Amino acid sequence: MLLAVLMANSEGNILVERFNGVPAEERLHWRSFLVKLGADNLKGVKNEELLVASHKSVYIVYTVLGDVSIFVVGKDEYDELALSEAISVITSAIKDVCGKVPTERLFLDKYGKICLCLDEIVWKGLLENTDKDRIKRLIRLKPPTEF
Amino acid sequence: MADSSGKTLMDLITSDPSSTIPSSAAPTTASSTAPPPQTTSSSVGAPVPMVVDKKTKKGTLMQIQSDTISAAKAALNPVRANIMPQKQKQKKRPVSYAQLARSIHELAASSDQKSSQKQLIHHVFPKLAVYNSVDPSLAPSLLMLDQQCEDRTVLRYVYYYLARILSDTGSQGLSPGGGIPTPNWDALADIDAVGGVTRADVVPRIVDRLTSEALNADVEFHPRRLQALKALTYAPSSSSEILSKVYEIVFGILDKVADPEKRKKGIFGAKGGDKESIIRSNLQYAALSALRRLPLDPGNPAFLHRAVQGVSFADSVAVRHSLEILSELATSDPYAVAMALGKAVQPGGALHDVLHLHDVLARVALARLCHTISRARSLDDRPDIRSQFGSVLYQLLLDPSERVCFEAILCVLGKLDNAERTEERAAGWYRLTREILKLPEAPSVKETKSESKDAPASKNSKDKSSKTRRPQPLIKLVMRRLESSFRSFSRPVLHAAARVVHEMGKSRAAAFAVGLQDIDEGVHINSFSESSDSYDQDQDETSEGLRRVSSVANGTSGKDTIAGLLASLMEVVRTTVACECVYVRAMVIKALIWMQSPNESFGELESIIGSELSDPSWPATLLNDILLTLHARFKATPGMAVTLLEIARIFATKVPGKIDADVLQLLWKTCLVGAGPDGKHTALEAVTIVLDLPPPQPGSMYEPTSIDTVSASDPKSALALQRLVQAAVWFLGENANYAASEYAWESATPPGTALMMLDADKMVAAASSRNPTLAGALTRLQRCAFSGSWEVRIIAAQALTTMAIRSGEPYRLQIYEFLHTLEKGGLQSQLADMHVSNGEDQGASGTGLGSLISPMLKVLDEMYGAQDELIKEMRNHDNAKKEWTDEELKKLYETHERLLDLVSLFCYVPRAKYLPLGPTSAKLIDIYRTRHNISATAGLSDPAVATGISDLLYETAKPTPAEPDTLDDDLVNAWAANLGDDGLLGNNAPAMSRVNEFLFGAGTDAPDVEDENTTSRPSMSYDDLWAKSLLETTEMEEDARSSGSSSPDSIGSVETSISSHFGGMNYPSLFSSKPSTYGSSLSAERAGGSRFSIPSFGGNSHDGFNSPIREEPPPYSSPSHQRYESFVNPLAGPGSQSFGSQDDEQFSSKNPQYGTALYDFTAGGDDELNLTAGEEVEIEDEVDGWFYVKKKRPGRDGKMAGLVPVLYVSQS
Repeated sequence: MLLAVLMANSEGNILVERFNGVPAEERLHWRSFLVKLGADNLKGVKNEELLVASHKSVYIVYTVLGDVSIFVVGKDEYDELALSEAISVITSAIKDVCGKVPTERLFLDKYGKICLCLDEIVWKGLLENTDKDRIKRLIRLKPPTEF
Repeated sequence: MADSSGKTLMDLITSDPSSTIPSSAAPTTASSTAPPPQTTSSSVGAPVPMVVDKKTKKGTLMQIQSDTISAAKAALNPVRANIMPQKQKQKKRPVSYAQLARSIHELAASSDQKSSQKQLIHHVFPKLAVYNSVDPSLAPSLLMLDQQCEDRTVLRYVYYYLARILSDTGSQGLSPGGGIPTPNWDALADIDAVGGVTRADVVPRIVDRLTSEALNADVEFHPRRLQALKALTYAPSSSSEILSKVYEIVFGILDKVADPEKRKKGIFGAKGGDKESIIRSNLQYAALSALRRLPLDPGNPAFLHRAVQGVSFADSVAVRHSLEILSELATSDPYAVAMALGKAVQPGGALHDVLHLHDVLARVALARLCHTISRARSLDDRPDIRSQFGSVLYQLLLDPSERVCFEAILCVLGKLDNAERTEERAAGWYRLTREILKLPEAPSVKETKSESKDAPASKNSKDKSSKTRRPQPLIKLVMRRLESSFRSFSRPVLHAAARVVHEMGKSRAAAFAVGLQDIDEGVHINSFSESSDSYDQDQDETSEGLRRVSSVANGTSGKDTIAGLLASLMEVVRTTVACECVYVRAMVIKALIWMQSPNESFGELESIIGSELSDPSWPATLLNDILLTLHARFKATPGMAVTLLEIARIFATKVPGKIDADVLQLLWKTCLVGAGPDGKHTALEAVTIVLDLPPPQPGSMYEPTSIDTVSASDPKSALALQRLVQAAVWFLGENANYAASEYAWESATPPGTALMMLDADKMVAAASSRNPTLAGALTRLQRCAFSGSWEVRIIAAQALTTMAIRSGEPYRLQIYEFLHTLEKGGLQSQLADMHVSNGEDQGASGTGLGSLISPMLKVLDEMYGAQDELIKEMRNHDNAKKEWTDEELKKLYETHERLLDLVSLFCYVPRAKYLPLGPTSAKLIDIYRTRHNISATAGLSDPAVATGISDLLYETAKPTPAEPDTLDDDLVNAWAANLGDDGLLGNNAPAMSRVNEFLFGAGTDAPDVEDENTTSRPSMSYDDLWAKSLLETTEMEEDARSSGSSSPDSIGSVETSISSHFGGMNYPSLFSSKPSTYGSSLSAERAGGSRFSIPSFGGNSHDGFNSPIREEPPPYSSPSHQRYESFVNPLAGPGSQSFGSQDDEQFSSKNPQYGTALYDFTAGGDDELNLTAGEEVEIEDEVDGWFYVKKKRPGRDGKMAGLVPVLYVSQS
């Protein structure tokens, strides 16, 4: 289960969050845990360099992309490596939408599109589409495979 | 975080970098507070939803103050009231939620116009997304757009928002999406009684609309159809109506498109192909993706059927989902799945195509599927099928993706889910080390039926294709792969590789543990002892089980032994400690701990951990996680107790502030029990080393240089260290006797001998020569009692008392003398007069322990006094050649009982064996007991009985009251040392649950943010309770009698309520020797004593590792039941008639009666008992239409005895 996808700005404000199968009362903990994790470790990290953490049997992979830090949390089959896969799909989709590494302003300008992409990438706690073109087609309401 | 959105987000959403927002107006927790009303004229730069015009601000605030409900109403008013719209096109204006919502309503009406669409796409929808959740009242407009609008992008957004409204995962009814907080719409709508729109109102409409779209078979419509189906899966799965609708749609689509007649192979994800087949493939994808999100019904063959078809679909995502569904189904019914897959698994079949599929997760799912089927017991009679799946699994080991390869390794190792099965793990290690892998380019179909279960793949592949690739030992392949992964720069890869090694260590430990029995081929035993384990040898030995190709013999050098391979792997693993990420390092350390074998030296591991811990960047949670790993490691290999304790010690000294004292204590305890007779001394030493650290003064800065090992550099960790020391001191007091195997009731030395050597030096010398363990513990405790901080001294004194009571001479005397000194020591001369009259002043002076120690000393005094008395009496009798009269014996016995009671207040002793009057009294007490047929265990006013502690012992003691010697000494001692139950704090204690959780691999619950860990975590550990009870001594003195033990989970409270219920039947004390003379300070102690004992004994042993606790009696039964029982049983034996007549009439009617529960009965109160129909009970008594009954074994609630209505039980 991909428990959470969370994006925050450099100050730790949550820009996007998608929780799956996380009880509401635990979300706050997760948010602060992840933001703290980012604040502690993401200083000076290169874009898209993947960092890893774990808590009990839950894995966390996170990275920074421009002004935005991205966290994905998963367990079971979504271990560090599967999460790395997911996060790279997410970052490449964001880069595609924004056209470059996003600043916070750019990210928010493209916020709607990013949400749509995310919607195609993570669907109810499972990784769905990983192919860039396919995602692009799907957010324009085109069929996944074109004729 | 919810309130963090304010400035930046709002700032940016206005699209005007220069617009600033007054921070005072930033929304705080908008999700809980209703936003104030929106007014027509907006003020530039004010944030939403707090957009308040200056002119109306005052009024609004007043409104909020006066009536929050109307404010909440007002928040929604703009949405519906259609107040003049904001000028949306002015991008430099901030955009409030209300404004956006209004725009949607308006634009929906004019959705056919290009300009409206444009505005929706570029302005309204993207900005709306920034809000945390979407208002259900938008649904009608969205549906209108859905119907009328043609623009694809608008529609895509519409589906997105509809799905958001449908999805229901939050407590607020809507799943939050981050961004700007929004209020709880449903709650707002509820407040607004007139016309609020809640989710419940709109969901059916949305579902209806989406359903009809999802059923639309129009070819041109099919992209929308996919999205509609997708949005539908977000509908709450709790509604069975919607669910069945979705199932219907999904299976309907699959009925049309899934059948394979037109299937084309080899076009995975490829472009091209005719339109029809592409549409078909798209629909297949959508249907399977939706199916994957729906609850799986393993009983329904349709799922299996469709999933099997899905494996051959053209769309790779669809294939992945089918495989995931299949692997899930296979866990419950591997046979059916294997049969259904049939040919797919054969070479050239669909499963083999998946091997080349460009979808990592699909291959991961394939690995799991193959593992499940190839291990399935239900396929025992079809080894061919199993080996086919096994073969696919082994091919996945060569997968280019680490994710897939690691999954395959984990599968081979027997780790599939979180359920740890030792046998499976051991077999996994066996597989890993034994198998020879021949990987054919095209695997052979040919199977022989005679294969053993353990190695399907190597045989599978041996028939053919040996030319293509040289056969490889599986382990070599795995090791190479892991080593190369460890050279990666990617942290996730490092972490994952370390995790695989960690799991490998677990399997290895399991193989060690199971070793001989489980792996039935005796020839393999040797190979489990590491270094002699070469493949050459292996091959010869196993030739009968696994036929191998002789050319495999590439094991020519030492490098090719398992030990050699492991050593080189571990070398690589160790270098990974240099990774800058603590999580990777933590995983590496865990892996090292698991890979550490008991007979290797652990110096290297120790130094790695030691240097690691000096790094301040370790978070506390991670360190505790490693501690828990130690615990798990211990459970797997009890023989490593000492090693693990040494490692735990490093934690205690290096990072006292970060580790959890409860977990550490638990580790100490389990290790002590598990260490065996030889290791006990070392185990205790390892614990007591903590005490050698001078405890720092609370709050003071600690100089790290003064003690080379301790790093308590800040007040917080200094406090934590002190807590740790307290825990260690307490642990020492409780367990020293156990570790030293020194018990008063087994002591051979008569008290007289000890009394004669009053010379202190001689005494110490004698003591340490007799039992160095105990003497060492004593010395440490004595030092703590002098030099520790106040809290530590208190516990040290208590611990010493415990030891004094439990130990024989000369230790008792030694402690007695020491306590005496301690009480008097340092007493200021000017207070010398006062201390007689005022206990409090004693406490405030000198060592500060006067008032605490005096009751303890009093007990010891009484014991010694009584011993003297006894010796005098005995001499008198001897001199006069007189027999002891019954009267005298009775007096003696009363003294004995009274002292037992007193002693039991301080610590637990086995009542049947403990002789407060010294070993010489044993005979006389015995005489009296036999004469009066008193069970040794039948103490009337025993506090241990009162608190239920004694049940642990009495349960097994009662069948043999006449010869208590048949009790297993070790067991008794273990109980006495409080080790009888593994749960130091009971199972519900935080540490225990954490350990269990860890062991069972749970853990989705949210992490604590670090700072909360050491300080604010509520701990019910003993030392807290005890310290508290001491601190409360003064007030307890007034009400100790009445309150008894007031700790919330105390058994005592149950006991009191039951005994009060049976007030009239409370049996009088046989010997009326209640310790009433002891005064109020004693009763305070009683309260304290019971408080601490309960958590220690209350729990049931949870785990099943090899220790004396195995034979532990069932969890405590109700104390009052115990009380009855202790009467009933001895009386059931012969000779009960000799009881005094008064007692006789009390008991004559108490012959046990049995009955059967007629109906289920649910207890309505503490004193009542749950019954299940048919359950057999023993009827003790009847009171006013109620039976007091006893069960044979404790019910689900742990209760054994209580009241049930007479009518619910049929007497037999």
